[in-house]
Amino acid sequence: MSFLAPLFFAGLAAIAVPILVHLIQRERKEVIHFPSLMFLRKIPYQSVERRRIHNWLLLLLRAAAMILLIAAFSRPFLTSSTVTAAVPATGARDVVILLDRSASMGYADHWARAQAEALKVVRSLSGEDKGTLVLFGHGPEERVRATSDRAQLEVAINETTVSSDYTRYAPALRFAQTKLSQSRLPRKEVVLISDFQKSGWERQEDIRLPEGATLAPISVADPETSDLSVSSVALARASFTGEERVTLTVGLSNRSSQTMKNVPVKLELDGREIGAKTTTVEPNASASVTFPAFTAADANMRVIVRAGTDKWAANNAYYVAISPSRPVSILAIQRDGGTTTPCGPDCPSYYLSTALSLSKAPPFKIDVQSASRVSAGAFGGRAAVVLYDPPSLSTEVDAALQRFVREGGGLFIVLGDRTPWTTGESPILPGKIGAIVDRPVGHDATLGFLDYSHPIFEQFKDPRQGNFANVRFFRYRTITPGPEDRVLAKYDDGAVAMVERRVGSGRVIAFTSMLDEGAGWNDFYKRSMFPPLAVLAGQYLAQYEEPTAWYTVGRMLEVSVPLSALVRAGTATDPTAAARKPSGVISSPAGQQLTIGEGGAPSVELAEQGFYSIRMQGTGDRRPFQVAVNLEPSESDLSALQPAEFVKSVTGRGAVTPSGQSLERPDLTPEDIEKKQSIWWFLLLGGVLAIVSEAALSNRLSERFARGLLQMKSR
Amino acid sequence: METHVVPGARFVDPKILARIRNLELLARTVVEGFINGLHRAPYFGASIDFAEHRGYVPGDDIRRVDWRLYARTDKYFVKQYEADTNANFVVLFDISKSMSFASQGLSKLEYGSYVAACLAYLSHRQRDRVGIVTFDQDVVNYVPPSAKHFNVLLHTLDRARAERPGRILGPLSTIAEHFKRRSLVALISDLYENPDDVLDALKPYRFHGNDLVVFHVLDPAEITFPYNDASRFEDLESGEEIPVIPSSFADEYRKMIAAHIEALTTKCSEARIDYVQLDTSKPLDEALFKYLGTRERMMKVR
Repeated sequence: MSFLAPLFFAGLAAIAVPILVHLIQRERKEVIHFPSLMFLRKIPYQSVERRRIHNWLLLLLRAAAMILLIAAFSRPFLTSSTVTAAVPATGARDVVILLDRSASMGYADHWARAQAEALKVVRSLSGEDKGTLVLFGHGPEERVRATSDRAQLEVAINETTVSSDYTRYAPALRFAQTKLSQSRLPRKEVVLISDFQKSGWERQEDIRLPEGATLAPISVADPETSDLSVSSVALARASFTGEERVTLTVGLSNRSSQTMKNVPVKLELDGREIGAKTTTVEPNASASVTFPAFTAADANMRVIVRAGTDKWAANNAYYVAISPSRPVSILAIQRDGGTTTPCGPDCPSYYLSTALSLSKAPPFKIDVQSASRVSAGAFGGRAAVVLYDPPSLSTEVDAALQRFVREGGGLFIVLGDRTPWTTGESPILPGKIGAIVDRPVGHDATLGFLDYSHPIFEQFKDPRQGNFANVRFFRYRTITPGPEDRVLAKYDDGAVAMVERRVGSGRVIAFTSMLDEGAGWNDFYKRSMFPPLAVLAGQYLAQYEEPTAWYTVGRMLEVSVPLSALVRAGTATDPTAAARKPSGVISSPAGQQLTIGEGGAPSVELAEQGFYSIRMQGTGDRRPFQVAVNLEPSESDLSALQPAEFVKSVTGRGAVTPSGQSLERPDLTPEDIEKKQSIWWFLLLGGVLAIVSEAALSNRLSERFARGLLQMKSR
Repeated sequence: METHVVPGARFVDPKILARIRNLELLARTVVEGFINGLHRAPYFGASIDFAEHRGYVPGDDIRRVDWRLYARTDKYFVKQYEADTNANFVVLFDISKSMSFASQGLSKLEYGSYVAACLAYLSHRQRDRVGIVTFDQDVVNYVPPSAKHFNVLLHTLDRARAERPGRILGPLSTIAEHFKRRSLVALISDLYENPDDVLDALKPYRFHGNDLVVFHVLDPAEITFPYNDASRFEDLESGEEIPVIPSSFADEYRKMIAAHIEALTTKCSEARIDYVQLDTSKPLDEALFKYLGTRERMMKVR
């Protein structure tokens, strides 16, 4: 217990006042007239009586009130003597060294100091002691298992470098918790070496170190940091004379207490500097810089924004991968007859083509061709193909179509009177085509089942988005789906209306009723749900995804991302390319290569800042797919936690250094501690209560005379 | 809520009486209210009521011989009657300075006046002769008993002022000489005297065949001593002051006053004197009861 204003205790002398008041019963000034002193005169008057304390309770209340008030004014606060009574003082130690190697450790000399501290801990191990080295960013990595081999630990520490990862303390602490709970050594210790970024810790994390285990924090954080970071990049695209021009706006953050003047900001495109500006960023503020537009001529261009130079270079750069946004190319093959260019109202696929062409994001480019004119090379550069009631295709075209689908192309088949496959079957047809069903007049078919879990119908799950029950079908073709096929819609009589089949990397959907006015098989093409459904189907089949210009560290990248980019770019089927599989080789910014997709990992974690290059199989000499990876934005926030406070919130106990010294709020001033505890408030309340009680009691005592009379009267 | 021994005596509350300035009206209010509450008539000795026969002895007035009985029994019997003569009722009222003490509005003097007035009124209604002696250290006023002195008595009570120190032995011994006829004597005082001195002062009255009732009037504060703060206490009569710490004096004082009352009770009882302690906070009915009891006993005269 300590006091902010101990001088107030001089006021304790005032306690003598109530004591003296109680000891010295001062005679009242007025004289009491009494009938006769006949008896009182006989009672011996002893002056010692005057020094006897009467009304002990009253005296105690008065003294308590004074003591409490004085104690409140002296502003006391508690300083718990820490440490770890339960920790055995002797015996072998099991030390888990949690070494933070997140990107922020690259600030100034943090990493070198962290390594030095870790080495110090390793050197403090002796005899039977064991050490475990765990490196962590957003997840833990056990670099060296529990060992007494100090040399092994030292080598591992020296070889470790800073990563681009972001900080999360909880997973590392849970890992240490698991390790120590399995340990049989009597002394269990966790040494956490970090810059204690606030962004890495959420207070509600539930960490429970084993009984007796201690957590010793070693902070390498600087009390004052100065850092400029590129916090964001915004792209604005505009078409200009058939080319796409991109305007790039860079956001800068100054996390320091000083103004940063004349900060150079540079824009690099494929390693070539195409723009440079200077700006001023106010302390603890942001600024933005907009560069002149540049032409996005090629796909997968590498753009790097660099701003300023400071103690932490990693967050001074921002990586962006830019490709020109191209429309999704779709080839519609229809039966002969009707105009194809442009596709007029007499064109069978008119309604379908029109519905797709309405879409702005993504835009569709639809080419309509008659079945008889389609060549094998027509599928090159297409993202999807529509077979609209076509007659039989030539063997060559059929093979090219099958290859197109297997390699990731989309196919939408509208079944009508004809079929391209005389047997009614094909590897790319989801089922076997059957007879045409004519519904009797007045008994039109409706859609009785829709698979709302499918991406095409998912948006229509909400009834407010449209109702398919009003769509009337007068005629349709039966189809018997295979066991692997997925039925997406059925008519009210149970017949299949829409079915999907996955072929290789591609997707095929068959719809069993013609979608044009001339055929008159239904009225679906006139309904309001038709255009959005057509667009959703087109996106799905073309495997369209919103292109991502950059990712953040820690994200997983699936092979479907570069693949869909190829499909989107219409390069899935390249007649000149060799047969290819959906796989590729990914190169990290550090140069490590890994096979992704078929024959390799299905996905890869983007652990490094910079550009990942993915070369898909069969793409020839084309530019590899680029994935830009940047630091997690929260990692740039260097504001640090108080280590002792952090440890207390983790363990509920006081923190100790590896040497056993208490770190109980080392950086908190007594004023801060006193303010936080606010014990004075309770003391003041107690004092006021004592005063109120004293007032009530003394009032009662002073009324004794009257009460005595009343009692006597009632007798 | 207060309750009274006699239901009809609800008007006898001393605080209410204090508002009645006229003593006669006060006495009438008290006595009539008191009588209405009784279950039997308080009037006795209607003068010519037959009591009993006794044998004739020489010297008896032959006019009192019952000749009808002689005719039946051939023996002489004399008729005896209840006394029909009026008794004397005298109040000895202490008006020393100590009687002016009042802790709650009504002083002992006032209370004593009410008691005296009520008793006198009651006696007067019974055609007794009433008189009063007021005294402090000397006899202040002496109103001899007379059937016509009721108003004088009331006037004397009205004029009584407690101004001087008092003594019992001197004035009472002096006045005792004037009591030639057997009387009912009521002493109203706070009796701040040695009990033996009180008895010495009263014994002459007993010797003269008077019936005595001592009304010991005390204020509640004199019994409970409800003081808290250390103060100087001044004797009302002598003016002497002493420092008093009530918290240490109170118990001892209460014991002494209780012993004083006990001694008075015992000694009065031994001397066949009725002793009644009166509390100025209590109704007057107790005093009236005591008086009536004594009066009844006295009327049994043949």
